[in-house]
Amino acid sequence: MTLRPRRKGSTLGEFEDPLSNYDEPTYADELERAMAEDTMAAMVTTPVTTVSADTSVQEVLRMMIELDIACMLVTEQEHLLGIFSERDVLTKVAGDYAKVKDKPIRDVMTTGPVVVYETASPAKALNLMAVGGFRHVPILDVDDKVVGIVGPRRVTHYLQQLIEKHKP
Amino acid sequence: MGLRSDILNHQVSALPMREGLIVAPDARLGETMQKMQAAHLGCVVVVDERGRPLGKFTERRLMRLVVAGKAKPDTRVGDHVFGAEDCVTRNDPIHKMIRIMEDRQLRFIIVVDEQGRVIGLTGQKGLMEYIAEHFPRQVKVQRMQAKLHMDEREGA
Repeated sequence: MTLRPRRKGSTLGEFEDPLSNYDEPTYADELERAMAEDTMAAMVTTPVTTVSADTSVQEVLRMMIELDIACMLVTEQEHLLGIFSERDVLTKVAGDYAKVKDKPIRDVMTTGPVVVYETASPAKALNLMAVGGFRHVPILDVDDKVVGIVGPRRVTHYLQQLIEKHKP
Repeated sequence: MGLRSDILNHQVSALPMREGLIVAPDARLGETMQKMQAAHLGCVVVVDERGRPLGKFTERRLMRLVVAGKAKPDTRVGDHVFGAEDCVTRNDPIHKMIRIMEDRQLRFIIVVDEQGRVIGLTGQKGLMEYIAEHFPRQVKVQRMQAKLHMDEREGA
């Protein structure tokens, strides 16, 4: 067992508030506060469209065009298996579509995508997208089930809403 | 200054800008796709002989061509461009750029100089990087693939 070092001046048995050194974050404006303290529920797109891993590449592309979306989540019983995006079309499909179109999407999807939990803040998700370079990030609940997805278009919409809402 | 006032007061020049892939209208799809893959960029800008934008060719447009069976290596890219008017200058305010992107549902926006010539690309990625700089605390403390819970129980 490790003992936490006591602060200078405190005596044995005296209660020490573990949050006594906590600095409450301060925000310059309401937009910053919302970005740091809201949860992803304020930003995500739900319900999210998903497909099974057996769906053909051709069918997934057709759905993406019809729904005007840039990526598709591949799931099994609500659990995330992978993600297929426009970038995958460019790098894995477009050059050889005739051969690839009837294959299951599992053959060309990106497995193990980086995810964010629904309790995270928009700022955290945005940083993940900016630093990690991920355009679309699936959102999971505590049971690791897919509850939504956040992408750049959704971020722009969220920002625009906040800028308009908090006009002085 | 807060994020909101920065967005309202800063200019597009404060955003990270990418050099942008620039091709002529006669460029062929095969070579253009190779350039996009090599640059990890989802958009090329097609320009006229003076360097002014004739439009963009994006991954979204490519996907539509693929499904329509028109994505041949010798397809002329200039025949499948759009959004020549989706431009801002470096001196435009960031909030104007956000409004344009939101209204027209854009991912990329072309940055032009005073003569209307292309000088680069920015858009949603540049905007996210700009915002991320306002939240260094979140950048420093977060881990990739951080889980809410442990996979296995700890202790007794």
